[in-house]
Amino acid sequence: MVNLIQQFVSCCRAAGLRISTAEILDCLNQLPLIEVTNELQFRATLRANFAKSMREINHFDRLYHLFFHEMRVDAADVMQSEALAEQIRQVTNTIKKKPHDNPMLDAVVDFIAGNPLEFLKEMRRIQTASDSEVQPTRFNFGPLADRFNILIQITSTTAAIAQLLQDPSLDVSRTARNDLAVRFTQRLNTARSILLYEPRPGDKNTKKIKTYEQRLKELGERPFSSFTRQELEEMREAIDKLVRKLKNNVSRRFAVKHRGNLDVKKTIRCAARYGGVPVEIKYRNKPLRRSRIVTLCDVSGSVWAAARFMLNLLYSLQECFDKVNSFVFIDDLTDVTAVFEHNEINEAIRFVLEEADVHYNAATDYGVTLRHFQRDYMDLLTKKTTLIIVGDGRSNYMHPEDAILGQMRERCRRVIWLNPEPEQIWGTGDSEIKAYMHHCHEVRQCSNVNQLIAFIEELVL
Amino acid sequence: MDFKSVNDVQERLEMAGYIPSKEISTVVFLAAATQKPVLVEGPAGVGKTELAKAIARSLDRELIRLQCYEGLDESKALYEWEYAKQLLYTQMVKDRINDIIAHTATLAEAVDQIAAQEDAFFSDRFIQSRPLLQAISSEKPVVLLLDEVDKSDPEFEAFLLELLSDFQVTIPELGTRKAISIPFVLLTSNNYRDMSDALKRRCLHLYIDYPQRETEVQIVRLKIPGIEGKLAADLVDSIRRIRLLDLKKSPSISETLDWAQSLLVLQINELTPEVISETLNVICKYQIDMEKVRKNINKII
Repeated sequence: MVNLIQQFVSCCRAAGLRISTAEILDCLNQLPLIEVTNELQFRATLRANFAKSMREINHFDRLYHLFFHEMRVDAADVMQSEALAEQIRQVTNTIKKKPHDNPMLDAVVDFIAGNPLEFLKEMRRIQTASDSEVQPTRFNFGPLADRFNILIQITSTTAAIAQLLQDPSLDVSRTARNDLAVRFTQRLNTARSILLYEPRPGDKNTKKIKTYEQRLKELGERPFSSFTRQELEEMREAIDKLVRKLKNNVSRRFAVKHRGNLDVKKTIRCAARYGGVPVEIKYRNKPLRRSRIVTLCDVSGSVWAAARFMLNLLYSLQECFDKVNSFVFIDDLTDVTAVFEHNEINEAIRFVLEEADVHYNAATDYGVTLRHFQRDYMDLLTKKTTLIIVGDGRSNYMHPEDAILGQMRERCRRVIWLNPEPEQIWGTGDSEIKAYMHHCHEVRQCSNVNQLIAFIEELVL
Repeated sequence: MDFKSVNDVQERLEMAGYIPSKEISTVVFLAAATQKPVLVEGPAGVGKTELAKAIARSLDRELIRLQCYEGLDESKALYEWEYAKQLLYTQMVKDRINDIIAHTATLAEAVDQIAAQEDAFFSDRFIQSRPLLQAISSEKPVVLLLDEVDKSDPEFEAFLLELLSDFQVTIPELGTRKAISIPFVLLTSNNYRDMSDALKRRCLHLYIDYPQRETEVQIVRLKIPGIEGKLAADLVDSIRRIRLLDLKKSPSISETLDWAQSLLVLQINELTPEVISETLNVICKYQIDMEKVRKNINKII
């Protein structure tokens, strides 16, 4: 029994299952407790010890079937199967003795003889092999060639066996020959199917989640402006979900930190009220560090799509910030903080688009916008404030007033510029982004949802 | 009363209202016989938690349950010092403390005197034990269920290792506590994340999948005694076909039972497309899933 289990484990290891010695020991200790002859119990015991995650279970089942069913000779009575096994050994030994120079042939013949170890090892090697050196052109030629080699060896083994079974010098009866032929064909087919249909363990359980998330990821890579109405809806849902997750993370982080520690100072101070008896216990609790956010969003056609997602995210996460002030501009600044505070986000976005006092036909002018901000809203910028500007910096060749941005920078904690244009065309034509750039702490390209989400995550956490 | 054999487990779990597969009873038997914890995995709603309850019932043991979540720490899982009680006691025995140090000459001596009494304040009296400590310090053996252990942090998982392999925990002020009686430990996981190899190594692994058709019919008839045989079979067939659809959340046994229950309450004896579509919100938990099932309703009946 120990040997059998040991062989099985070697095969499992060769096929990529990780099984530790302690687990083998556990298993061997447990086997005497069950009825070993009851296969369901036997299999359950091995499985409970060797396959320790959902993903490994399919893999284990396949190996179990291979090792304990396909590789075993189970005939009606023991004597007969003993004889059959002996004949199989005889045939395979004959093939092995013939001179050849391919180690793979040995592995295939071993497999036929009921010892799949080498074969599985080789398969595993091919599956996990990677090119050791970087080649100028990439090929999967190496693994392919290896596979092809195995296929050839299987075919030649098939031929060799067929020839041998025809050979009259072989000391086997006619019915036994047929029996042998059936078995060999079965095993060769198994070997071929292992080679051709690579198992992907546990696909069944993870597939759905993958496809759904894959889709969102693809959507996330698309530029903002190319969304259809339906995709917009879908994206909004995804963002909602993400926001919830982010909020959970934030709250959890602060919930875990510094909880449970006794605050001696506070407790004693509080105890003074009750004549020195500490009736109320005070715990240390670190308050949240919340920042203020001021956003300036360019809402001219080219940038609006990015800005709306940004505003959507920011206002969904409002409780993570002390205060969010938002302004939209094209040629002049409009304060839309109140709109977003009193309306639901999508409603607010619609309001800004349709009813707010914004000149949608005007040409974008960053200079006037900044001047206006300097005149009316400079006191919003404090040491706690993060200023986020969403815009392409295309000011239609008017004065950029980048010096004002410099003044703004001095007043606030951070200035971050999100540019929905691809980086290659920054600074071309009327783009003044290069002039603004050196006043910012950070300038990011932000042309799709994934980039935006990455940014927001950094901002919040 | 321990289990005697795999069949014994099977019978006793069935008596406790749980119909186990052969595999489940084998693993449960082995775990009980070798005193190893069991890590139970499987889709939501296949009866992982229910298994623990059934084991507790069939062994006639108390079930101690610890629901894991992110941020769960030792003070919630193992023990916590009762600061308030400690401080109040200190207040109350102030005079005694004065007596103790009354005859000391120097400050150092006084501190030594007090230090000699330290044990009085860090003793069992002031420990508030949480589920894990309760489980190992209970006189009678219990069943300990660590539910959704994959939701806890890796730190907590590491902390579990000592408990799971040696059934002991270390409390810095008191030393190591060994289990008085070894509990039957079950950990359940929804595959939210992979457990560490170290943890897996210490456990027997049990994967519970959706049950076979016959088993599921049996379960429905056991849990919902009023249901007719034919309806139960039809219901299980429909559910099994719904599972084949590519849904966001496939209905599991708990949904089957809910569905059977609601059909019973509505006094419906036959499954028709209308019935399914009206009661769909019991089975599907997402709008998209519902629409998909409605579209394929002909395939389901």
